[in-house]
Amino acid sequence: MTASAVWPRGLGNLLEFSRIGFINVLAFRLRYYTGIVTYLINVTVYYFIWKALYATDPNFAAGFTFNEMVTYVSVGWVIRSVYFNNIDQNISQEVIEGKIALSLLKPVSIQAMQMGRALGEACFRLVMLTLPAGVVISLVFPVQGPASAAHFAFFLLSLAASILLTGALNFIVGTFAIRMKSILGLLRAKYFVFELLSGLLVPMTMFPAGAQKVLAWLPFQHVAYTPLRIYLGKLDGPELYQALAVQYVWVVALALFGAWFWDVMVRHVTIHGG
Amino acid sequence: MLGQVEAADLVKEFRTFKRKEGLWGAVRDLFSREYTTLRAVDGISFQIEPGEMVGYIGPNGAGKSTSVKMLTGILVPTSGVVRANGHVPYRERMAYTQSIGVVFGQRTQLWWDIAVVESFRLLKRIYNVSDADYASRMARFDEILEINRYLNQPVRKLSLGERMRCDMAAALIHNPPLLFLDEPTIGLDLLAKENIRLFLKEVNRDYGTTVLLTTHDLSDIEELCKRLMIIDRGRILFDGPLDELKRLLWRQTQIKLELKDASQGAAMEQFSLPGVEKVRLDDVTYRLSFDREEQTSGDVIRHAVGVAEIRDIFIEPESIEQIVKRIYTGSTISELQRR
Repeated sequence: MTASAVWPRGLGNLLEFSRIGFINVLAFRLRYYTGIVTYLINVTVYYFIWKALYATDPNFAAGFTFNEMVTYVSVGWVIRSVYFNNIDQNISQEVIEGKIALSLLKPVSIQAMQMGRALGEACFRLVMLTLPAGVVISLVFPVQGPASAAHFAFFLLSLAASILLTGALNFIVGTFAIRMKSILGLLRAKYFVFELLSGLLVPMTMFPAGAQKVLAWLPFQHVAYTPLRIYLGKLDGPELYQALAVQYVWVVALALFGAWFWDVMVRHVTIHGG
Repeated sequence: MLGQVEAADLVKEFRTFKRKEGLWGAVRDLFSREYTTLRAVDGISFQIEPGEMVGYIGPNGAGKSTSVKMLTGILVPTSGVVRANGHVPYRERMAYTQSIGVVFGQRTQLWWDIAVVESFRLLKRIYNVSDADYASRMARFDEILEINRYLNQPVRKLSLGERMRCDMAAALIHNPPLLFLDEPTIGLDLLAKENIRLFLKEVNRDYGTTVLLTTHDLSDIEELCKRLMIIDRGRILFDGPLDELKRLLWRQTQIKLELKDASQGAAMEQFSLPGVEKVRLDDVTYRLSFDREEQTSGDVIRHAVGVAEIRDIFIEPESIEQIVKRIYTGSTISELQRR
């Protein structure tokens, strides 16, 4: 098959898996009503922490006013509800239950299958969780609007990259399950590393200067920190374009690495039973 | 001419590490591990021609699933050659899986929480099935399997039999030339079993689909397969027509006698022949069983007719279950090898 024959079909598969992901979570929509409350509580906790910190020193976080910080945290949690996905857990569970064999028996890329499903779920959460949570949080807390209409457009483009980036990263983490079977420890570790290094908990400017330099070379901060800076108007002109380009380069690089890593690991597949 | 499926000297070894006992053992395991190698499949060779329906049986842990996993491309063989539909399964997964269908009786390939029809739509897309083919095949599947009435229900609400019918259709939606079935009738009631078998026969007849069927239910094989392969301890013990297996290994014969009336019972008590075990089932029914190498049915009947008046005689050859049971327990291996 030529590449041109594979691609439209591959894309069609992706959309079809997205549809399935969407319908699949539809069956559990009740779960999302409680999700809105969870996100509200999270933002509330951070709101009061930052409030206390800024009360002691109005210049507490370099480059962020209190209102900017509240916006950073609020928008940060709201977008987390859409870029977040469970690809790593799904793969791990499929390996433990032996279902991965069934996936391997289909003429599709497992990566596309998982990614498609995650995108479908993301669309679902966007409607059922992100938007309502966004409305509720912006009514409760003094959240600023985006810096400008153009910034908002770039923010959305950057958020799209965050979704893909999280998907690519989680696929790589999940792939470890093929060898290790249970990756519960790895999943936990990833969770905390991700929250911290993505810039969700605190902006990267609050890390020590040395750490900032190192972290700039890792993909994590492009998940939350980059779109949030664009939203707040802290990235402009060439800097903004560069940040977006770097995000998408990471997406492509990690997706390619994930595909290769998967192929290597699958060679070692030993599914239970004999 | 190569067969549709071909395995030559296929071997699969698993390396499992031996856990040492106790807490101290667990600590030592962290530093040095002892591995044991298990040869799950020990050099099997066979060939399957297009359109064949082959039964593949063996006791649990015989290497059956492992060899099927190599044939479907999920496992990479340790050594040996495997080819199917012109592909090396584990190397050309995408192209190969497009040309096969797989059904696991114990597991569904349908999405658990969503309507069956959504899974079918997804499979239609994955396998690139045209609208016309999809419609005609679904109509055809519905004729026997009657799946249309479950299509809008989520899989988790279906009974096992209903789910199995849907799974069967799902595996054939792209009309693959080769179908692997792993215990497709496990846990099904008689009607559902019959339905699935009928469906398989039709598919095999109409589309020429090659079928490899693993099962523990030998009636599946008697109904569907002319050819049987028996695997045990990683080796193929028998590969040939079912009839040949029966002829080769049919050892016990049973003759059931129905006496003219109860008064003949006393006369029948006189019956005695070396090597023949006599069991009185009720007033008028007796069962005589014997090894057919020691006695002939002719002699047994002649003798019985000599002592008592008999209404009916039923000769029952050994069932395939009994023959296979003897193979599994190892008592007939030498006879198979002598062949």
